[in-house]
Amino acid sequence: MNFDYSEEQKMLVQSLERTLAKSYDFETYRAQLETKSSHDPALWASLAELGIMAMPLPESVGGFDGNHTDIALISTELGRRLVPEPYVSNVVVSAFILNATRGESAAEELGGIAAGETRFATAFYEPGERHNPLANNTKASKSTDGWSINGHKAVVLGADTAGHFIVSADADGSSLFLVPADAAGLTVRKYQLLDGRGAADLIFDNVTVEENALLGDAGTAEAIILEAVDRGAAALVADSLGAIEEVIDLTKEYLRTRTQFGRPIGTFQVLAHRMVDLLVDYEQVKSMSMEASVEATNENASDRMKAISAAKAKVGAASRKFGKDSIQMHGGIGMTDEYALGAYVKRLLVNETLFGDTDYHLERYSSL
Amino acid sequence: MELSLTEAQTAFRDDVRAFLDENLPADIKETQTSGGHLSKEQHQRWHKILGDKGWSTPLWPKEYGGTGWSPVEYAIFDEECYRMGAPRVLPFSVSMLGPVLINFGNDEQRDRFLPGIRSGEDWWAQGFSEPGAGSDLASLKTTAVRDGDHYIVNGQKTWTTLGQHGDWIFCLVRTDPGAAKPQTGISFILIDMRDPGVEVRPIITLDGSHEVNEVWFTDVRVPVENLVGQENMGWTYAKFLLQNERIGIAGIGQSKQQLVSLKRLASAEKKNGKPLMEDGSFRSKLSEVEIELRALDLTNKRMLVETERGMDPGPVSSMLKIRGSEVAQRLYELKMDASGLYALPFQPEAGEPGWNDELAGTLAQARSAPHYLNTRKISIFGGSNEIQRGIISKMMLGF
Repeated sequence: MNFDYSEEQKMLVQSLERTLAKSYDFETYRAQLETKSSHDPALWASLAELGIMAMPLPESVGGFDGNHTDIALISTELGRRLVPEPYVSNVVVSAFILNATRGESAAEELGGIAAGETRFATAFYEPGERHNPLANNTKASKSTDGWSINGHKAVVLGADTAGHFIVSADADGSSLFLVPADAAGLTVRKYQLLDGRGAADLIFDNVTVEENALLGDAGTAEAIILEAVDRGAAALVADSLGAIEEVIDLTKEYLRTRTQFGRPIGTFQVLAHRMVDLLVDYEQVKSMSMEASVEATNENASDRMKAISAAKAKVGAASRKFGKDSIQMHGGIGMTDEYALGAYVKRLLVNETLFGDTDYHLERYSSL
Repeated sequence: MELSLTEAQTAFRDDVRAFLDENLPADIKETQTSGGHLSKEQHQRWHKILGDKGWSTPLWPKEYGGTGWSPVEYAIFDEECYRMGAPRVLPFSVSMLGPVLINFGNDEQRDRFLPGIRSGEDWWAQGFSEPGAGSDLASLKTTAVRDGDHYIVNGQKTWTTLGQHGDWIFCLVRTDPGAAKPQTGISFILIDMRDPGVEVRPIITLDGSHEVNEVWFTDVRVPVENLVGQENMGWTYAKFLLQNERIGIAGIGQSKQQLVSLKRLASAEKKNGKPLMEDGSFRSKLSEVEIELRALDLTNKRMLVETERGMDPGPVSSMLKIRGSEVAQRLYELKMDASGLYALPFQPEAGEPGWNDELAGTLAQARSAPHYLNTRKISIFGGSNEIQRGIISKMMLGF
């Protein structure tokens, strides 16, 4: 057993860290939020150049054949810097589905993702279905020229900037369809999430797509959807790890430098112990994030789901505590928009809730 | 022992209900019950309606416009207001400054300021906290230097709630920098925020709202008649003011209203094809907080009755504040969790006047995360829960 990263992985993290340190500080993040867009083409291009989009993709399409620990390392850095770009929705979840359903024949799409040129977003969740990724109120029916889709998909991560959507719909069972963002009858209601990442609701009103828009076979998508969700969840757990590390740094620094009653507030035992509890929690979070990154690709679905649910539930509950306690220890300053802490608290809330919230994963864990 | 309302208390409750039913403007009720931000005009319009009825300053001594209600009657009033969707009058003038002027001010000050407080015409802000003086309030640095018939005030206050609407601000300022203890060199003065040298700068909080402000003072000339009580005695008045907050500090009425709205939201939300309200794990979380609120409601009323008989109010208000803030925060948290994915779109302006975007989810869902984030403040302001625990520990344990 070892918990080490390879030399290549360490180098990847270092170059990503360096690039973001240079080009994406908290003020840049705030300026990007002001633009009301989750996507900055220049930043995206520089990230693509580093190879982080290509990392998990097969060599045959210009990728580096990386594994899920690579994805975790990348996600941790993106979380640490609050980068709102659609990495997980596109490179982790959508790329996995395209590869799993089409393999070589999706070379063009996957090549586009690897190069940072095309973006996809994956739509599973629906209004009124909470965190159930297998919601099937969206219907696809055979028509003369292909498929006709009707339904509503909720809070689709990355859908604000994607050119194509991968949509789950019921066609005699769970099925996946590739739908261009500009398809007739499709309404894309875009918005930003709490932390500045982008999403949209997708409303399908007799959206017609060609016959070959079907990804894989009709009625067989459940296993792939569950696996895609788990990969997304594992990446978000790693993203949270990066955000939590920053929360710890900010809070430790504040406890050390803020003086009240003539001494640093960290010397008050009630605050010191509260901080220590967070440090213990951090180690637990880190372990679970590591396990999730390894188990995300486990071929035994039940083992995979158990590990992912454990990580998502543990990290979700810890994230909530990190958010509350770090703000409380800061006092008023922790409530302000100008100070980075609040942005991390919001990032953690979004990560907690997407791809199954804490309750969802607790229940799934106990049912496995 | 009899824990239900007496006949007289029931009649009182019915009176309050009837008054609210008849006089609460529909737009104010709508903003309040949906969790929106009340405008300055809405705040003042409602304050005036209560003032005209003689109910804007119920806890003041009768000769100054109080109603003579018992603490339990006040608690009934508070609850009915929330139940009916009536906003509560802001505490700064009515609960904080008013009692200080009544107890420590002079006749001229009472004649000049109390009518504007009762009617709500004067908007008062509170100027206590400073960037370097939060929990350690006595370390405040804003100075007031005597110059003939004026004090010259310089410094900065912060976390000034709704200071953007302020006509006046009551401030703690340092008048004797050489005092032996920091607490003994502080005075309590009233500053006209429209005077030259006063500048209000907004602070946007993480929920995207503008409630709090920084207030800067640069050579502001304040007439000496705006000093309340004696020079360098301000700390005593401030302590009185903060302890005086105890009635209503537990936020029972508001939490009961939130419980109702949480249940409404959870009934509309579906999980596995059934209302979330019917989900076992959600129900046990809901019951947990509901029971805590039930206990707090009784504790609040019991303590209000006991303080009337001379029990020290210090630990009481601190206890009520700690548990009241925890219950309120938990309710907002459950509301956010119940909202599911639709808690995530950031729409802080949703439903506010002038907002025309298309809503993602329902208004209640859209407001759930901003409210959760915003209410992190209630265990911080007015003396953080850590400070409250310190007060209780000192008073009840002796260390």
